[in-house]
Amino acid sequence: MIATINPQEEPYEKEKKERYGLIPMAPKPRTTLFIQCLVDTVWPHVAEAMVGVLEGLGLELDCPTDQTCCGQPAFNSGFRREARVAARRFIEIFEKSGTIVSPSGSCVYMVRHHYAELFKDEPKWRARAQRIAARTYEFSEFLVDVLKVEDLGASYPGRVTYHDSCHLLRGIRVKEQPRRLLRKVAGLELVEMKNSDYCCGFGGAFAVKYPDISAAMVNDKVDHVVNSGADTVVGCDTGCLLNIAGAVSRRGLSIKTMHIAEILAHRR
Amino acid sequence: MSDISTEKYIEEARRGIANPVLQKALVGLQDRFGRGTAEAYRRLPEGPDLRIKAHEIREKAIANLDVLLEILADKIRANGGHLYFAETAQEAVDYGLAVARRNNVRLVVKGKSMVSEEIGLNPALEAAGIEVVETDLGEYIIQLAGEKPSHIIAPAVHKNRHDIADLFVQKLGIRRTTDPPELTHAARKALRAKFLAADMGTSGVNMACAETGHITTVSNEGNIRMATTMPRVHVAFMGMERIVARLDEYEIILRLLCRGAAAQTMGTYASYIGGPRRPGESDGPDEFHLVVIDNGRSRILADPQFREMLYCVRCAACLNVCPVYGKIGGHSYGFAYSGPVGAVVTPLLTGINRAKDLCQGETLCGACRDACSMNIDLPRMLLALREKLAYGDAAWQVKPASRAEGLAYRGWSWLIRNRRLYELGLKLAATGQKLLPHRKGMLRRLPPPVQGWTQSRDLHPLAEETFMERWRRTRKS
Amino acid sequence: MDTRDQINFFRRIRAALGHAPDVSRNASHLFAEGPSPEELQLLDRIRRRTAEGRQALLERLVEAGKPINLSVTALPDVAYASAAIVRLVGEKKPEWGDAKHIAAWRHPLIDRLNLPEALDRLQVPVHATAPIPIDAGSQFDQVERERQRAGIIASFIGVTSADFCLADTATLVMRNRPGQPRSAALVPSIHVAVIHLDQILSDMKELFALLRWDERYRSEGLSNYMSFISGPSKTADIEATMVHGAHGPREVHLFVVTE
Repeated sequence: MIATINPQEEPYEKEKKERYGLIPMAPKPRTTLFIQCLVDTVWPHVAEAMVGVLEGLGLELDCPTDQTCCGQPAFNSGFRREARVAARRFIEIFEKSGTIVSPSGSCVYMVRHHYAELFKDEPKWRARAQRIAARTYEFSEFLVDVLKVEDLGASYPGRVTYHDSCHLLRGIRVKEQPRRLLRKVAGLELVEMKNSDYCCGFGGAFAVKYPDISAAMVNDKVDHVVNSGADTVVGCDTGCLLNIAGAVSRRGLSIKTMHIAEILAHRR
Repeated sequence: MSDISTEKYIEEARRGIANPVLQKALVGLQDRFGRGTAEAYRRLPEGPDLRIKAHEIREKAIANLDVLLEILADKIRANGGHLYFAETAQEAVDYGLAVARRNNVRLVVKGKSMVSEEIGLNPALEAAGIEVVETDLGEYIIQLAGEKPSHIIAPAVHKNRHDIADLFVQKLGIRRTTDPPELTHAARKALRAKFLAADMGTSGVNMACAETGHITTVSNEGNIRMATTMPRVHVAFMGMERIVARLDEYEIILRLLCRGAAAQTMGTYASYIGGPRRPGESDGPDEFHLVVIDNGRSRILADPQFREMLYCVRCAACLNVCPVYGKIGGHSYGFAYSGPVGAVVTPLLTGINRAKDLCQGETLCGACRDACSMNIDLPRMLLALREKLAYGDAAWQVKPASRAEGLAYRGWSWLIRNRRLYELGLKLAATGQKLLPHRKGMLRRLPPPVQGWTQSRDLHPLAEETFMERWRRTRKS
Repeated sequence: MDTRDQINFFRRIRAALGHAPDVSRNASHLFAEGPSPEELQLLDRIRRRTAEGRQALLERLVEAGKPINLSVTALPDVAYASAAIVRLVGEKKPEWGDAKHIAAWRHPLIDRLNLPEALDRLQVPVHATAPIPIDAGSQFDQVERERQRAGIIASFIGVTSADFCLADTATLVMRNRPGQPRSAALVPSIHVAVIHLDQILSDMKELFALLRWDERYRSEGLSNYMSFISGPSKTADIEATMVHGAHGPREVHLFVVTE
């Protein structure tokens, strides 16, 4: 692993809780779905799988169907005014929600980390944002850290390697949770690939604006997947997965690219 | 100096990616130093969190930069050294030239200094008829090859032993060998003659300590010791931000610098220089000059968003983990500073519009922030630069980089505000995509302006029905 | 005395920091009046070090020297050190040319090695770098400096002592003084350093605590040129392959006298 600081080491766990003020949750909280725009519009089956897993655990789910986007694409490209528009809408929609769960580490990072920055000159909005951020979780983090569940009774025969998305790993410091979940899947052999925590080259608009560099990065990532001997690559961020799946497809390889929710919902 | 432009960045990046020698070297560099540095931080007695302390030390120093530089200047002068405060690159170069002329300097030996690269010292000295010899082995190699450095610590990382062998045969007239020890010895021999004959030596400054009135230089090769001991004049060039207040604080910075730069617990040599030779001493330069350089740093200092960039000690730990640098190499950045540090510093020093590709051409993956020896939040500053490029900025004289992109995001912000409009747009797109080239259910070619995606990968098409639509359909009845 | 370039330079910095541009600010809050509790502990630890403690440091030093190719040998007294050096002079071949010369500091510990006499048999000249009298006049000064420089350049081994040695990183610490030129530990291909066991400290923290607060070292401070030397010179600039022997000495031998 190249991550220079082990996210599981004490100081960073503390930092995470202090910085985000994550509130401890009741055992089966009322859960609201925050579905990333890419999942909503391109890979809805990921959200379906996540719903299946959560309902299978007895959770009551609701989903504000008005939601569109957390604002990250605009923010990363420097367009903060437009990002703020999206952020305000998000805050209004999710203000009355229960615990918020998302199948996207980068969106959760946006809400937890960047919303405060977006509203640094607007204390009221900032406070509202922080209250929501304190109960917003990424899916694998929610299962392991909040619900304290690792074995979902899933089964997936295959050799799987896991790709660490940048914002999930280095942003919200989630590294072990997805691996713990994958290890409990019956029939699944988890192998680590080289540089699993190297960026896959997605970066949102970067993939379109700097295609040569992005291609070089995603092709390295696919090479590492191939060299690991895995037949499936799993991740927690659909942006990364679409990027990797696109390169796999172009290269005519038979590797499956899947979101962890799909694996956890998989049954014999 | 700098020669950055959009076309050049993309062109150099392409060249770098297609260069197998460079690619192999970068993989080796990042495998070894990226991981090595992480391990070195973990092994610190204080643990990797020592970098938070280092950040505080540098923050305090920068907040008191005027005070500390004044103390340093007074102490060096009291020790017989000379100080010059250069506002611009030209002033710094002119001063160095004046010292050389006054001392009838014919030959200068240089210790590696990125700031001397930044100000364009070598061409100026050469134009004045002075022979300039880089003595850091990597810098020497690229000087012989007529190239620019591609990494802050390992400038010749893009050259393999065959390249270097060819070069040495051509320039040094040696018998051909690709054995690194033999090649190193050839350079050692050639440079020894230069060290002993040189009239003037120049160096950079890794870090200065105000309390003791010293500048420090760190190396593994011994070339900086040579260059600052054997010639009769020593001129040190220092970026004005490279200072801390106290020796005990300095100790922390030095330990992190060695780990960040080369995954070492200590570089082979560290020299603490406070002035010229004293009476009764038989070696050392007669004259010591310290040139403290602004060249745009005071502007960075004045902006609270970017002041943090001045905490950097140029260890290059960020280069050793950056996935973008790891593919494109240092030449794409077109300036003395490459990698993540270059992506922030170069726009701030040379022009944000001009260097826009440097700060837009990353994925904000955050590996640099995690690797930084001073715990600097580089992604935050990249985002701040991107905001200026989005809307323009009067203080930094930035024009919006792309009105088209601005309009696109403005349109997007309308679309996402209204779910029904949004879904309408998606329906249109889902229909329209059927006209695009397909293969096995994947889109093969997207239209401009997003054709970049499908240049080298396919794209999964938009779903027939969004998740929200399905939820409404199946749940809300 | 502030020159015009300095005045403008500082004006700009103060303005950038949001302070009155023309007012020189006070510094005292940035510096310590006395040692911190941690530094007091360090000074105390140094003071109380026992023979066992020093032996432990020596062992650490030997270990730390291994990965950096520093050879460390403990010897009972100066006679052994002298003999070891004579042996080195006999065994090693000069890198440049054939003639064997060595350079040696004028230093109490080095003087006791009696090198000129010891090497007389081998007919190896010893260039002693005596302090140059300050009042001797600039002509003499220049001639003497050139003579010493030539002697050092001609030497394939430079024998020096050091002020301290840091066990943690196997670092020799030398402060510049008349009679103790740093080029003797730089220009010859082989550097031999002879120190006493008492001179070994644990690490940089101890060294800096001493240099900052101990009465014996405070006034000299770091001197105008303090060198840290951790093993022979090296480079990995060619295909990241480590090569020992870049521009500084290719071999460093440290003799620690334990008497």
